[in-house]
Amino acid sequence: MCVCSCCMDAARRAAQQLAGQHPAGFAKMELSDANLQTLTEYLKKTLDPDPAIRRPAEKFLESVEGNQNYPLLLLTLLEKSQENVIKVCASVTFKNYIKRNWRIVEDEPNKICEADRIAIKANIVPLMLSSPEQIQKQLSDAISIIGREDFPQKWPDLLTEMVNRFQSGDFHVINGVLRTAHSLFKRYRHEFKSNELWTEIKLVLDAFALPLTNLFKATIELCSTHANDASALKVLFSSLILIAKLFYSLNFQDLPEFFEDNMETWMTNFHTLLTLDNKLLQTDDEEEAGLLELLKSQICDNAALYAQKYDEEFQPYLPRFVTAIWNLLVTTGQEVKYDLLVSNAIQFLASVCERPHYKHLFEDQNTLTSICEKVIVPNMEFRAADEEAFEDNSEEYIRRDLEGSDIDTRRRAACDLVRGLCKFFEGPVTGIFSGYVNSMLQEYAKNPSINWKHKDAAIYLVTSLASKAQTQKHGITQANELVNLTEFFVNHIQPDLKSANVNEFPVLKADGIKYIMIFRNQVPKEQLLVSIPLLINHLQAESIVVHTYAAHALERLFTMRGTNNTTLITNTEMAPFVEVLLTNLFKALTFPGSSENEYIMKAIMRSFSLLQEAIIPYIPSVITQLTQKLLAVSKNPSKPHFNHYMFESICLSVRITCKANPDAVGSFEEALFMVFTEILQNDVQEFIPYVFQVMSLLLEMHKNEIPSSYMALFPHLLQPVLWERTGNIPPLVRLLQAYLERGASTIASAAADKIPGLLGVFQKLIASKANDHQGFYLLNSIIEHMPPESVDQYRKQIFILLFQRLQNSKTTKFIKSFLVFVNLYCIKYGALALQEIFDSIQPKMFGMVLEKIIIPEIQKVSGQVEKKICAVGITKILTECPPMMDTEYTKLWTPLLQALIGLFELPEDDTIPDEEHFIDIEDAPGYQTAFSQLAFAGKKEHDPVGQMVNNPKIHLAQSLHKLSTACPGRVPSMLSTSLNTEALQYLQGYLQAASVTLL
Amino acid sequence: MPGMNEQDERMRKFKNKGKDAAAMRRQRVEVNVELRKAKKDEQILKRRNITITLEDRLSPEQEKKDASAQLSLEEIIEGVNAKSLEIQLKATQAARRMLSRHRNPPLNQIIEAGIIPRLVEFLSRNDNITLQFEAAWALTNIASGTSDQTRAVVEAGAVPAFIDLLSSPHMHISEQSVWALGNIAGDGPLYRDSLIKCNVIPPLLALVSPATPIGFLRNITWTLSNLCRNKNPYPPLEAVKQILPVLICLLQHEDKDILSDTCWAMSYLTDGSNDRIQIVVDTGSLSRLVQLMANPELMVLTPSLRAIGNVVTGTDEQTQSAIDAGVLAILPQLLRHSKPTIQKEAAWALSNIAAGPCRQIQQLITCGLLPPLVELLDKGEFKAQKEAVWAVANFTTGGTVQQVVELVQSGALKPLLNLLSARDGKTILVILDTISNLFLAAEKLGETEKLCVLVEELGGLEKIEALQTHDNNMVYRAALGLIERYFAGEENPDLQPEADQDRQTFNFSAEKQDFYDF
Repeated sequence: MCVCSCCMDAARRAAQQLAGQHPAGFAKMELSDANLQTLTEYLKKTLDPDPAIRRPAEKFLESVEGNQNYPLLLLTLLEKSQENVIKVCASVTFKNYIKRNWRIVEDEPNKICEADRIAIKANIVPLMLSSPEQIQKQLSDAISIIGREDFPQKWPDLLTEMVNRFQSGDFHVINGVLRTAHSLFKRYRHEFKSNELWTEIKLVLDAFALPLTNLFKATIELCSTHANDASALKVLFSSLILIAKLFYSLNFQDLPEFFEDNMETWMTNFHTLLTLDNKLLQTDDEEEAGLLELLKSQICDNAALYAQKYDEEFQPYLPRFVTAIWNLLVTTGQEVKYDLLVSNAIQFLASVCERPHYKHLFEDQNTLTSICEKVIVPNMEFRAADEEAFEDNSEEYIRRDLEGSDIDTRRRAACDLVRGLCKFFEGPVTGIFSGYVNSMLQEYAKNPSINWKHKDAAIYLVTSLASKAQTQKHGITQANELVNLTEFFVNHIQPDLKSANVNEFPVLKADGIKYIMIFRNQVPKEQLLVSIPLLINHLQAESIVVHTYAAHALERLFTMRGTNNTTLITNTEMAPFVEVLLTNLFKALTFPGSSENEYIMKAIMRSFSLLQEAIIPYIPSVITQLTQKLLAVSKNPSKPHFNHYMFESICLSVRITCKANPDAVGSFEEALFMVFTEILQNDVQEFIPYVFQVMSLLLEMHKNEIPSSYMALFPHLLQPVLWERTGNIPPLVRLLQAYLERGASTIASAAADKIPGLLGVFQKLIASKANDHQGFYLLNSIIEHMPPESVDQYRKQIFILLFQRLQNSKTTKFIKSFLVFVNLYCIKYGALALQEIFDSIQPKMFGMVLEKIIIPEIQKVSGQVEKKICAVGITKILTECPPMMDTEYTKLWTPLLQALIGLFELPEDDTIPDEEHFIDIEDAPGYQTAFSQLAFAGKKEHDPVGQMVNNPKIHLAQSLHKLSTACPGRVPSMLSTSLNTEALQYLQGYLQAASVTLL
Repeated sequence: MPGMNEQDERMRKFKNKGKDAAAMRRQRVEVNVELRKAKKDEQILKRRNITITLEDRLSPEQEKKDASAQLSLEEIIEGVNAKSLEIQLKATQAARRMLSRHRNPPLNQIIEAGIIPRLVEFLSRNDNITLQFEAAWALTNIASGTSDQTRAVVEAGAVPAFIDLLSSPHMHISEQSVWALGNIAGDGPLYRDSLIKCNVIPPLLALVSPATPIGFLRNITWTLSNLCRNKNPYPPLEAVKQILPVLICLLQHEDKDILSDTCWAMSYLTDGSNDRIQIVVDTGSLSRLVQLMANPELMVLTPSLRAIGNVVTGTDEQTQSAIDAGVLAILPQLLRHSKPTIQKEAAWALSNIAAGPCRQIQQLITCGLLPPLVELLDKGEFKAQKEAVWAVANFTTGGTVQQVVELVQSGALKPLLNLLSARDGKTILVILDTISNLFLAAEKLGETEKLCVLVEELGGLEKIEALQTHDNNMVYRAALGLIERYFAGEENPDLQPEADQDRQTFNFSAEKQDFYDF
């Protein structure tokens, strides 16, 4: 600790500043025991469990940390305090302080004064090295944070200071240095190459590589001289682990000259360490990896790094490592503590055996047999830990087993090795394993209740051997032709599933169900059909894993596609099982631990979708169960996927039932509205967007006038608070559109005072680049469905708002929507009305919009219906708008026609200006709605010009013909003077198809 | 800093795909910092020492005569400063012999002994050609040392003296000067240019004739190549134009050493901006260089490949002239070469051709480059794989949808996805970017779903998912982006609540602005 006069002085200044801020507690503070005592008090309070004491203390410390000397006071405390807890607390506080403040951010004030910075850097290394381990770790972290900013330029002597300590002989000190070096250098593993980075690495190598190598050699020697001293060995092995990690960091970016020259030293020693064992280092702990395992595991990583990146230089050493690692695998036990080591070691072999020039290391039949027997098979065994997870932590088990988050597991590594070996040796490997599978199955058959794990391993082995490519959606897509999957299925999988007791050997049941699931594309359909009742039966199994797998398997089978793009399993084939399927699915939801099981809910949804009208008889019971579930989970929604599938299932019930019997909608409303009201009243935010979507669906089912219950809700939907949540916007717009489609005249007559509020929503949406397309959806519905006189007084304002957006922040998305709207308006109110309203806002506005927006941008419109609307609208402007024929707008007539023909014939212009690439992805249409959109509440595509115009090209031809009869000669002359020849050709085609000529 | 530029370039590409094809061509990055062991062949090229093994060939009878005369450093100092010609010669010889030791010649001791000025003086001793020769030899060896050692020779005024000696009537003396000047030129751009300023080129070129003995011609070629070497700045344009015609002649020679050094010279001249490349293209020598890429001698193949590799970093037109010269016919065998370094260089060249317009990409396909590229991607050494990844990345950026389909059909996807487990952040990022390009093409074909399945089947999805925890920010963001865009599954509720408000409705109102003008 620096207690020179300048610091004392600074401390006094700090105390004075404090006095101004905190007259009560800190006024007397000096660099004295008394002040350190004050700081001690506050630190102590930050450890208090009572937030009322803790928070103010934390706040206080944060408020004084800007003062000079604060960090030095902390350093004094962590060194000298009498109480260990204060030492530790001071060290943590110090580290966090460094983390928050050390970096100098451009244009922001420097948060630590220079004198403190210098003092910290001068003292922290020796302080760290002389501290007990707990504090050493904190200070080491602090050093690496400082190092990240200051090293090497602003902290040039750090490395020398550290390297000098290697000679101390004190391994507590040495490990402190190594740990710090590791946290400083580990970023070399992930940063991109740059001159700056490489300059730093070079500097580090120059100062560090040789001392590190010498330390490595010396440490290994010490290990043999202390081979009988357990406590010394522990320290030494901790050093070796850190040294091996440093090796990895320093060799990551490229093979440094120094390490190439010293490869012999490093690799020979690494190799020796891999083969080393010492009873004293073995731990009793089954879970936690010991030092020996950690070291060997890191060495496997180092070897893998060299094998992958520096193969040319590493080649002479590689075979030795293959042998050593393989021996290591053969001699390593089944305990969890070896998992990382084993999976790293197996992955090393897996990556090497795929390389053509190392093929020879494996091709010997004895080698292969031995790898299969001693490395692969033992690591595929179901262990006690797996069994525990299967029973007590089934969610985690399912995630690992089903969703492939098993990357680091032994089974997975063994599986990868099988695949790697199959690249060159598929035949021999399959042969060897077939023998094993058979013998394991025989073992099982002798005494199933004791030997069931053998069968589990056999199934796993077959699975990993047979699957060459796999996806979640389709299961296995490429299989090993040497394995007869169907035969195995019939002989060994089905019998387990046919057994009367669904609760016996749950692991084997889960294996069997999983087998069906992943090989569903390989197993013939008739076998799948045989399996369906078995799977339905297993929905009743008590084991969460088993009934979850059964639900998931059914769901996957129901999505399989047969010929003609229909489902593979038809609803006729399912007819005998409808009742039992639905009963068992809903019953499965009542098992403890499965009440919000997303796999089961998804299976319910998929079953509805497959069975269609076959579910109608069960709907009364189903909808009751679904609403009860909805009510229950709305208290505390926690499983988003479960909730989503539940709403999808509700939608499907509505759709399927009302398709057969439209009047049934009333009974759904009766069943659902109570829960919906509760959700809306309690503002269950997760569910509100879903509720709006279901309501839209229900409302659209009504064939007649809108029911009064809906009208009562209408004003509430316009409340700004609902629109503030982005997730509500798409479903609310959708719901308002349903209101407009079904009840525009009711709104006009009974709720005319709400029209400004409705348009207010439009105004709010149109102001946002992210939501403007939603605003247009709403506006289009208003224009299409509201009686013209009810919106008459607002029309001009609507256009003014649009023009303002156009003027101030024009984006491609906005223009596309704008073009569709303008043309829809034209269709609805006539081209002349469009021209008049434009020109009433500003003279010649109509011409400007045509010239600057419609003609140049029309090619960007996307979507079939949208294009059609634009085509019909423009046709109207061309043929039903007198000012286009007899004012200065005439000059735009041919360009507009040309643009229209372009819209028909040219590919869509999907370019986007450069600056719009940077609009967040969420802003693009399609994304916003995607996240909570219910597939089965979907809106049918609506074509507002559908009845009026069938073929827009013919319609153009006919309209031009009509125009030409009204003013003979004009049209052909306009065409011949300025329409380009290609466009003219297309146009003649339309005229011919419509059998009309122009006069 | 080229590293940084490269990175910026990549960033730009990431957002604005395919906007700037020219920017994708990657110049050979002049690495200012190198962690690797310097490549031996290149190091030797820069400077050459004459060791004792060569001595017999050069002066057998003198050697025998003085074999017993081993002088100490003090005696040498005394000797060179002595009046007696004989003692001077003896001392100079002893110094030269010391400097020609195979192991650790005592360059610094000789420099510190302060005898260099005397040795330089001896260069002008036309009266005693033996002394002249011995001094030239000794100085040559000092100049072959480090930069500081070379400087000691230059600062003693040796350059003009050596240039004078180029025109010596005695061939062994002019050859020795060529050698010395080669070492000085090889030191760096500064001395290279000062030699050029002292007009070294005309007398040097004058030495080249059909009658020049082959050994001598090798030395001249090497010195010429050093005069073309180094950037920042490039050698003066005038000098390059003087040297080039001779290089073009030498390129037709049959001696492999001469060819090697000539090709190195060509590679230096093409290692630069496009106008420098153009000067070489204009000589019409690309066909010959391409032909030499098929030479069985590694020492010829390496520099000719390098030179052509440099040319294709240039404009589309310059790249086209390399294609017209037949580079695409040679590259497949080089991509399959037994030396990983050659594979790497070839893939680098290919990556730059793939950065061109789609018609060049088409030629690349037509010439059958995809199969060897995919092989390399699958089985090459890592440094070659890295370049192959760039080639694929550029291909997917500039290629048409049809071309990208062909790439995928050639089996590039599997090895590409495998390399996602490479221990190299940059490579991973380039691959993620490439995958995103593939998806853009798939979207255009309406086959996004198919590609998703393919990526998942080949184990790519799992790797991309794992990359979401990568420590490098750009990598994890790119991985996340792909997952969100293409693999996010069916649903992902994400609702952001916001503060309450008690207004009942929005207000609807609008006021016209002063004047609209779109």
